[in-house]
Amino acid sequence: MVLKLHGARMSTCTRTVAVVARELNVPYEFVDVDFAKAEHKSPAFTAVQPFGQVPYIDEDGFKLFESRAISRYLAKKYAGQGTKLIPTDPKDEAVFEQGVSIESSNFYPHAFGFAFEKVFKARRGLTTDEARAEEHLKTLAAKLDAYDVILGKQKYIGGNELTLADLFHLAYTQFLITLGQGDLFESRPNVARWWKEISNRPSWLAVKDGA
Amino acid sequence: MALKLCGSPISTRTRTVAATCKELNVPYEFVNVDLAGGEHKTAEFTAAHPFSQIPYIDEDGFKLFESRAISRYLAKKYAGDNTKLIPTGPKEEALFEQGVSIESSNFYPSAIGYASEKVFKPYNVQYDSQTRAADCLATLNVKLDAYDVLLGKQKYIGGNEYTLADIFRLAYGALALIQGGQVALFESRPSVARWWKDISNRKAWLEVIEKGV
Repeated sequence: MVLKLHGARMSTCTRTVAVVARELNVPYEFVDVDFAKAEHKSPAFTAVQPFGQVPYIDEDGFKLFESRAISRYLAKKYAGQGTKLIPTDPKDEAVFEQGVSIESSNFYPHAFGFAFEKVFKARRGLTTDEARAEEHLKTLAAKLDAYDVILGKQKYIGGNELTLADLFHLAYTQFLITLGQGDLFESRPNVARWWKEISNRPSWLAVKDGA
Repeated sequence: MALKLCGSPISTRTRTVAATCKELNVPYEFVNVDLAGGEHKTAEFTAAHPFSQIPYIDEDGFKLFESRAISRYLAKKYAGDNTKLIPTGPKEEALFEQGVSIESSNFYPSAIGYASEKVFKPYNVQYDSQTRAADCLATLNVKLDAYDVLLGKQKYIGGNEYTLADIFRLAYGALALIQGGQVALFESRPSVARWWKDISNRKAWLEVIEKGV
């Protein structure tokens, strides 16, 4: 009956689902996917997740992948408990969706792009393209200037309440900080204020070092 | 209750919102943003859109940007029996969200990478644009193999009904890949080809590409 979260403890997207589950007080059983043995590329795995990625959930046989989709599903199903992570008023919800889209189109490609060059490529035996990594950082800096403007007008990325839009930033921001890019966030006053707040939530502190 | 769509007729995301409006039979007034003249960099524009991008909507003073957010807002507001672009059952909605997320994380980064190299003018940065285009294409091929598996099991990206998850794919599919000479990416994979033929012949989409935004 317990929700099963299949993933890797330190995977950014696995920890995203974990933090959301904790905000909602939804218990889950973590099931490790063995990357060293390429379990994520096995036929049994790709039958569930055709892209060979983590995480996916298994809720009594109902399987779902894509961390943002899983998070949304849980946030709606368990809307009556824990933190309210998706607004219900139509205009508040629109601003929430704007925030989610900002993350996925303005933040994620460059945060991921940088991490890909600096970390993921090496894991696959490929060479870092330093110029491309620099390009991603430069773009990210410009994007975060816009974030600073937005966060000067509203408390969170998706409005004046914490939502999934903020939680979707946690894992990759932490990753960037561990890669020495903390100044991107610390040097912008509104971004710094927002980051300090969301990164100190008990739900994140519980999973940031492992789902 | 006037809806203004501020953008550019050639912008993929402006077209995404236009297609959504036409699917929903929602009338709108198109307001051209003078990109060539740098209108999107003016203080007045960035007050509405801090990322200096298009499109955004202005609905009687309520302003919203990000084409996916705009599409979702309109799809919810104007949901009707014949114009349902977001499913309502919890599990159907979850599969829809899975489809939308697949598009934004597995398709978009490589599609935009390829489009930037091959269709848009390259930025003035020192890199080998052919290598990047080749990398993006290689990634797209891998991703589309997975799409072919998915579309062998379900009719559309977000489940068995046409949803926003399919619309969000359209504009970049058309521009980045077909205009960039990569129609084979779609046509060489049977389930992807079946799906692409279906969605690219929808009346609302044909109206956008033939008559413009």
